[in-house]
Formats: sequence, structure tokens, C-alpha cells
Amino acid sequence: MIEQTSGDLHAALTAVGVGAQRIAALWWPSLWICTLVFCAVIAGLVLALTRRGRAQDGSTAAADDGDRRARLPIAAAVAVSVGLLVVLMALSVGADRALAKIDAAGAVEIEVIGHQWWWELRYRDPDPSRSFVTANELHLPAGRPVLLKLSAADVIHSFWLPTLAGKRDLIPGSPATLVLRVDTPGRHRGQCAEFCGLQHAHMGLLAIVETPAAWAAWAERQRRPAAPPGDARAARGLALVEQGSCAMCHNIEGTRANGVHGPDLSHLASRERLAAGTLANEAANLAAWITNPHRYKPGVTMPALTYPAADLDAIVAYLSELE
Amino acid sequence: MKRRLLLAGLLLSGCERDPWYLPASSARLANDGGSAVAMANPYTRDAQAIAEGKRLFRWYNCAGCHAAGGGGMGVALMDERWRYGADDRAIYASIVDGRPNGMPAFGARLSEDQAWRLAAYVRTMNGGPNLAVAPSRADDLRASEPEARREPRAASDD
Amino acid sequence: MLLLRRPALRQRVLGLLLSSTALFITAAAADVGDEWPMATGDYANTRYSSLAEIDTSNVQRLVEIARRPTGAERGHEAAPLVIGDRLYLITPWPNDVLAFDLRRADLPLAWRYAPAPDAAAQGVACCDVVSRGLGYAQGLVIVATLDAQAIAVDAATGTERWRTPLGDFRSGETITMAPTIVGDLALIGNSGGEFGVRGWLKALDVASGAVRWEAYSTGPDRDVRLGPAFRPFYASDRGIDLGVRTWPGDAWQHGGGNVWGFLAYDPALDLVFHGTANPGPWNPDQRPGDNKWTSGVFARRPATGEAVWFYQWSPHDLHDYDGVNENVLVELPIGGALRAVLLHPDRNGYLYVLDRATGQVLSADPFVEINTSRGVDLASGRLLYDDAKTPRSGEMTRDICPASPGAKDWQPAAWSPRTRLLYLPHQQLCQDARTYPASHVPGTPFLGATVVMEGSREGRGRFTAWDPVARRIAWQRRERFPVWSGALATAGDLVFYATMDGEFKALDAHDGELLWSHRLHAGSVGQPVAYRAPDGHEYIAILAGVGGWAGNVVAGDLDRRDGSGGGGFVAAMRDLPAPSDRRGALYVFGLPR
Repeated sequence: MIEQTSGDLHAALTAVGVGAQRIAALWWPSLWICTLVFCAVIAGLVLALTRRGRAQDGSTAAADDGDRRARLPIAAAVAVSVGLLVVLMALSVGADRALAKIDAAGAVEIEVIGHQWWWELRYRDPDPSRSFVTANELHLPAGRPVLLKLSAADVIHSFWLPTLAGKRDLIPGSPATLVLRVDTPGRHRGQCAEFCGLQHAHMGLLAIVETPAAWAAWAERQRRPAAPPGDARAARGLALVEQGSCAMCHNIEGTRANGVHGPDLSHLASRERLAAGTLANEAANLAAWITNPHRYKPGVTMPALTYPAADLDAIVAYLSELE
Repeated sequence: MKRRLLLAGLLLSGCERDPWYLPASSARLANDGGSAVAMANPYTRDAQAIAEGKRLFRWYNCAGCHAAGGGGMGVALMDERWRYGADDRAIYASIVDGRPNGMPAFGARLSEDQAWRLAAYVRTMNGGPNLAVAPSRADDLRASEPEARREPRAASDD
Repeated sequence: MLLLRRPALRQRVLGLLLSSTALFITAAAADVGDEWPMATGDYANTRYSSLAEIDTSNVQRLVEIARRPTGAERGHEAAPLVIGDRLYLITPWPNDVLAFDLRRADLPLAWRYAPAPDAAAQGVACCDVVSRGLGYAQGLVIVATLDAQAIAVDAATGTERWRTPLGDFRSGETITMAPTIVGDLALIGNSGGEFGVRGWLKALDVASGAVRWEAYSTGPDRDVRLGPAFRPFYASDRGIDLGVRTWPGDAWQHGGGNVWGFLAYDPALDLVFHGTANPGPWNPDQRPGDNKWTSGVFARRPATGEAVWFYQWSPHDLHDYDGVNENVLVELPIGGALRAVLLHPDRNGYLYVLDRATGQVLSADPFVEINTSRGVDLASGRLLYDDAKTPRSGEMTRDICPASPGAKDWQPAAWSPRTRLLYLPHQQLCQDARTYPASHVPGTPFLGATVVMEGSREGRGRFTAWDPVARRIAWQRRERFPVWSGALATAGDLVFYATMDGEFKALDAHDGELLWSHRLHAGSVGQPVAYRAPDGHEYIAILAGVGGWAGNVVAGDLDRRDGSGGGGFVAAMRDLPAPSDRRGALYVFGLPR
């Protein structure tokens, strides 16, 4: 049930985002240098262990001589170590500066709010009526910087898209920011990287990088109010959603469902996964999730809801229309 | 052999523990064969369910009227005055069916399980039957003692 | 007349004629004479009585002439009306209307009318189940009930004439304001910002009760009644459908902006002025944007409801600073010329002077300590918020001054044309706040904020005389509790107000010296009025019965151990004494004969 993540989707060594590339530019030299040092140390150790023992005549002159001969290699090792450390430090400072320098001018502003156990994504716009809210599926325009404003609603979470950027903690009451830029379209998987309770492992995030035109079209669709129900069954589903439990926590734009505690469902059907990456977004899974979410994410705040089969069918029919 | 049986018994007894996140009432209700209002609250002594009740109290806008128990648009819940009774049945009925002086009916908006969790929490607001399982902190401004430290007190007419 | 055929000239001459009548009318309006025909005294909201029989020399002899129980408990915020030889009043829920006969000294009850509003409406009244008064026109008493109905009652007999449901209290819609009569229309607005109710003002035909027009405070221009005549002074109020575009998504549909304050009317300009209340929810993070047209003031044509101008006191209101406080219409010498202005003491702490023809802010000066903003930019009209006091979801903001009830809440001010001072009953409170996301579920509160108010144990209340020309405080008195009653000014150079711990006071209007005080059986949050009875003598009347938002700790039996109770007001009112008798009463005072 958990999304099959290929190495490319969710791999720290595949650097796609500009931030991840800067970090990779630090990580690879660090790896090589550390490997080199490790090999040198091991080689020195092996040499020391296997070399022929010194004459045990106990003369101080011989010992003095030995010390004198050791000075050069020790000095050389110290010099090389200091040199390598300086190189590493320079690389680290350079990477930090490079990360800080990712230009946020003209950035798309997105508030990322960590909840137990899902991601709320609020796309801000200077014109408030053009802002919109979605969940668990982060759409980004290729080549344009994105300013993520990170916060947490309940406990500490950590935002991590390994292929795109470094981790950043989400701490309640202490907002943080992260600037992302990805220059090529693609799909990436993110994950909460700070233990946040029972379903920490099922707090996934899908990031979809699109061409600017495709992204703008997607954003325009998200800005629209939810599609009105297409038939009588879906209309019944909407009525059940508005008057029942769903509306206590979920928002569907343009309807009387105005809850804020669960993921926004205005365009639920446009998303690939349900329950923060846990299930494929299919009608059967949706029905199963509504009936008993604890089967898939034990302890989740979504309550198990008992509906007569026809009602459940109507609700699922309506939600499946919310493209 | 005896030892092995004992060990197996001990291990199996662990399996009997209810997963706390699963609704308890329906299952137990079915076993009892009674109606919802005739039964006692399954969560009266369940700290986890009460903590969840506290979360729902905020999420479902109860706090907007009843504050942290002191009341406002709605009545105070931390005193000893209960217009419709202080027992589980009465509190459950108040939540689910509403009351004529302004308490709305939440029956259609809650699962039965959630209503019991809420009722269990409400009972801890004025000391309740068991302080040991009452919440001892709040993720909010501290405007009153947390439930676990509240003494039941008769409302005075001072 | 030949000259007047030239339209431009005709307009100018007419304008001149009108403005001279304006002066006359305002002067006349300030002279309500023997009666108290509307809650505000007059259309200009001066609450000034030209009666001078009771004055600074004899007020010490003022005695209680009559005391009549109203039969209701909780906050009695209403102003009695005096028309002819009758005094009319409305109680808090259950909104009974009582008519007393003024021809006899003991004020016998002429009739009592019980509209029987739904008891469940009590559950959606944000700040106690109050009513602020009645309207009167064409021999009808116009009643607005807590469950959002308008009712006309025959003033002579107390029989019901018509009844019009105006809103759905089950979704949180209530009415607490006093209906205002302009011409043959009764203007009534709704309450319910704390429930995310969309605000409106409706005009009802007095004779039939039919709704002639309705104007919403949020939504498309058509709903708000913004047409070609709408010319706001500031650029930020110009644009198409700002009532939709300054909100995220469909948030304007449950965005508040209710109309529950006192209305003012300028017959010369033919403009009605009404405030709009706070946007919903309190948590500002849920509604980025200016949130038009909440927390501001509209000038509308009474006949059609068309808006002529708008000004927003608190754009994107951060602290529940409703904009519904009264607008007092006066003429002031400003910059060497006499200007027709509107004085508005706002909850955000500034005393605004606006040109009432255009909506231009002429001055805005703080009348309490303020740290939520740094002033008002007169060029753009914008309130300059201080970022340090901006609440952010999930975070704590400490020491917000003034607190949510503002520097001054509903309690109406009085203006004396003799002293040229504005008398403000108000409070000095600060608060801590923590905001969080709130779901909008119809009929349940829509706040998203926990607040805890505080004021110094001594002196949470103020009674301030403000000089709007010198733009400073002329004198000020401190009170232990917020002064939650209205003010009254009389030609006897007296000002009256009552306290929440039950003192009814008369001060010298010139210097604020306490001249007389009378102990009431309960705290008062009423509106004092003055009238001349059929016996030819002047009387002062006020309702006692403590309550309202500030008094809800007593009226609602709230638990004083929870400071966040009663919308956070309990923390600042823990020491408010509860009267031994909670029932309200009408008090009438006069000079002994």
C-alpha cells in the first residue's frame, strides 16, 4: 500500500534541485576526502603493524634518532590534515553561501504546515482571492524559485525532499523558511524526517515539478471553486458531506463544508495519492479509508465513519468528481 | 510444560489489549446489547481518549462557547451546576441531541465514538470522576488550571 | 427663478439652501425637546437633551421617583423611548416590550408585549442576550428580537401589527441593535460576527414590514449596493467587487461585517451612516487581504441603500476591533471653516474626525494607550499596524493594547453643543492572545482565538471628555470597572453615566466634577435618557441590570477561575460583584416636589 519509491523519487544522492546540487557539491568532495583520509590512516596503521621492530638496545641516542626521523612524517600528516580540513571548511562555507544565495526574487510563496500526519500547502498570492490551499502534493514551476514558509500545527516535524533540498525542521511557534529551485520537470517524493508520532512513517509528500505553463494551468484549476456535483448521486454526496461529519474538518471551496483541520478536498480527485502518500487515489481506497482509516494509518485523527452503503457510495462519487 | 503454558498465556494476554485508537463503544455496545444512551461511557478511565476529547473540544468549536470550562456564550462546564444532569448519559445527550436554550445538536456531525470521547473529556473539566486520567496541560494560553488540577467546586453566588 | 434654470447654478443655490438647513437641522436635532424619540436621542447621535431644569445647582437634590422591575434578567443595554405620555422599553431576551404611563408619578404599566423569541437564540448571542433599544414611527413601536425577527407593535395598545423574519438564528444570526427609523423605513442590521454570519443592513417598510432593500457588508458589489454613485475618498476602497477580491476563496460568505451599532442620519446630505463589525474569524491568518467591507463605515442613501462612500477603520482587522461604534454628526471649526464632520471613537483607540460628505479623514488621535498601531496615515487613510502585535496562527502575542473590546465598545458617547466636548464612556484593557485555525460550522462559534484580558485592578474604566477641535482630552475620570453604560448630556451642563457596580453618576459637564451619585440595586449597562413628563418637569431614566460582554461573568454565571471565559473578559472582571437581585429595573429620577 505504501508508495513504491524508486531511487530517483526519493534518493538523497540524486541531486535535482538547486539546493540539493549545492549540497551534493559539498557531499561528494567530503566523501572523497574522507575516504582518502580513511585509506591513508588505515595504510599508516598497517604499515606500523607490519614494519620490522627497532633494535632493543635501549640507547637514548637511538631513541632520539627515531624521534627525529618521525618528526617529518608527523608534521606532514598534520599539515595535510589541516589543509584538508580547511578545504572541507571552505567547501562547507561555500555550500552554505550558495544555499543562502538562491535568489528568492519573484518566488512562488507557499506555506507548508506540518500536521499529524499530513502536509497542508497554502499557495499565497498578493491578491488574496488568488490564493488557494491543497495538501500532500506540492506542485512547483521549473526554473522559478519557491519560498516555502514552514510551520507546524501540533508537534515538531521535518520537511525533507531529498532530491530537491536539505531538511528543515518545522517547530510549532517558530516559523522557518526554505528557498527551493528546481530547473527540470520531474516527480519527487518527500517525507517527514523528524519522528512525530504513530504515523510518522506515513507522512509522505509528493512534489511535482512542471513546466511554468503546466504549473500555471494547474494553479488556475486549483483556484477555481470545487466542481458542482454532476448528477443526483453526487449531489446527495455533497449534501451528506456538508451536513455530516466531513464538514467539521474538511474544506470544499464553494460549498458549506468549511472545516480547516483536515486536508482541503476542493480538488481531491486531482491528487495522485490519499492520506499523505499512503493510498492510491481510487474510489475503492477512498471508501475504505472513510470507513476505517485506522486500518491504514492506526491512530490517525480521521474518525471511522459508518455510512449505509448507498450514502458512502454517494460521498465517494461526489469526492471523485472534485478534479 | 507448565512454564511454557504460562509464558504463552502471558504473551496472549498482551493481545487482548484494545488498540486505543479504535472505536470502543460500538463493539462493546453490541456485546452489551443495549442502546447508546443506556450505557456508561467506555472512556471514563481512558486518558488517551480523554486527551482526544480535549482536541475535539477545540476542533469542533465547543471551546468557542464554553472556553476552557468557564463558559461564555455557553454555560460554564467547570462548576457543579448541571441543568440537565452531570452523568454520562446526560452529557452525551446534550452533545448529540442539543438542549433548548442554545446548545446545538451535534448528532449528525459526530461519530458516536467521538461523542463519547467528548463526553469523557467534559466530565474531567470540573474535577470529574477520575483526576488521574484528566489532561494535565493545554496547548494554549494558560487561563485556568489544567483539568487534572481542578477541584470540583460548587458555583457560588458571590 | 430665471437664474435657477441654469442647472449648475441651481445646484449651487440648492446646495447652499441645503447646507444652511443642515446647520439648522443639526441644531434642531440636538434639541430633542421633551421626548426621547429614538435610542440615540437624535439622528446626529448626540444624546443631548435641551432640558435644563435639572442643572449643576440642583442635581444634588435628585431623587429616585420610580423603580419598575422589567421582569427580565441579564444585561439591560436598551435606551427607553419617551413619546407623548408613554415610556417604552425592551428587555434583554425574551425581548418583552413594556409601555409605562408617564401621567402618573408611579409609572403604571400601560401594556406588556411578549414577542416570545426562540430560546435557542440565546446560544448564538456572542455577548450576552442584550437588546439596545426600540424604534418608533407612525404610532408603531418597532421591535427587533434576538432570534432575528422584526415586529411592529401598536404603540397605543401593545398589539402586534406585523412580523418579518429577517435571518436564521440557527446559523448564528441574531439582532441586538435598536432599529433606526428614517422616513417610512426601519433600518435593522444583524449581529453574529462571532459565528461567521455575513453582515447586512435591511430597510423595512414601517407600515407593512416588507423588506425594501438589503445591503450586505461582504460579497459582490451588487450585494453591497455599490453603484455608480459610490465614490470612496481613498484609492484602496476603489475597485470592482472588492468585497470578494479582498478575501481568499469563498471566505467572504462567512466573513462577518455585521451591522449592530447605532445608525446616524444627516437629513441635509440625505445620508445614513453605519459601521460594519469585525471580519470572521478572529484569527486573521485565515483571511489574508483587507477583508472589505468589514470594520469600516458606510454612508448610504436611505431610500435605496446605495452606498456613497466607505472608509475602513481597521483593514484586515487583527484584534476584533469592530467598526460599529456610533458616528456623532457635528459641525466643527476646522482650518478656519465650519465643517460638517462625523466624530467616531473607534475600538482601535483613535478618535476619528471625518468629513461626512466625502469620507475624508481630517484627524485621528489616540484617546487611550495604543500599541497595536502607530497611527493613521492621513494621505492613504491606512491604519499603520505594529507588526509586533500581529497575531500569528499557533503563536502567542502578549500585551495587545487595546484589547478586543477596544478602547471603547458599543457604549454610546454624548455630545454637548454647549461645552463642545464629546463624552466617552469606555475602558483601558490589554490582552494576550493565541490564534489557531477554526472551522466554520454554521451555528457554532467561528473565532480561532483564545484571549485573556487584563486591566489594572483599579481603573479599568474611563469616562473621558474629548475636545475634538483641540484634539485632546479635556478631563477624565477613572472607574474600577469598564464604563459599559451610555452617556447623556443635558443643557443643565450635566453629563450622566452609570457603572457596572451600580452607581448612577452626574458630573459637571465642564470639568468632570462629581455632583451626584445614586446607588442602584444592580450594576447598569443601560443608556440614560432625559425627558419632560406631562407634568412639565424634567426626568432622567436608565435601566439597571448588569451584563453585556463585560458583565457576562455575572449575567451568564461564568466560572471566574477560567480567565479565557466570556471571550477572555472574565480575566479582567473576576471581581465584578453579582447583585443580590439579578432582575433588571427601570429607574426614573427627578427633583423632589
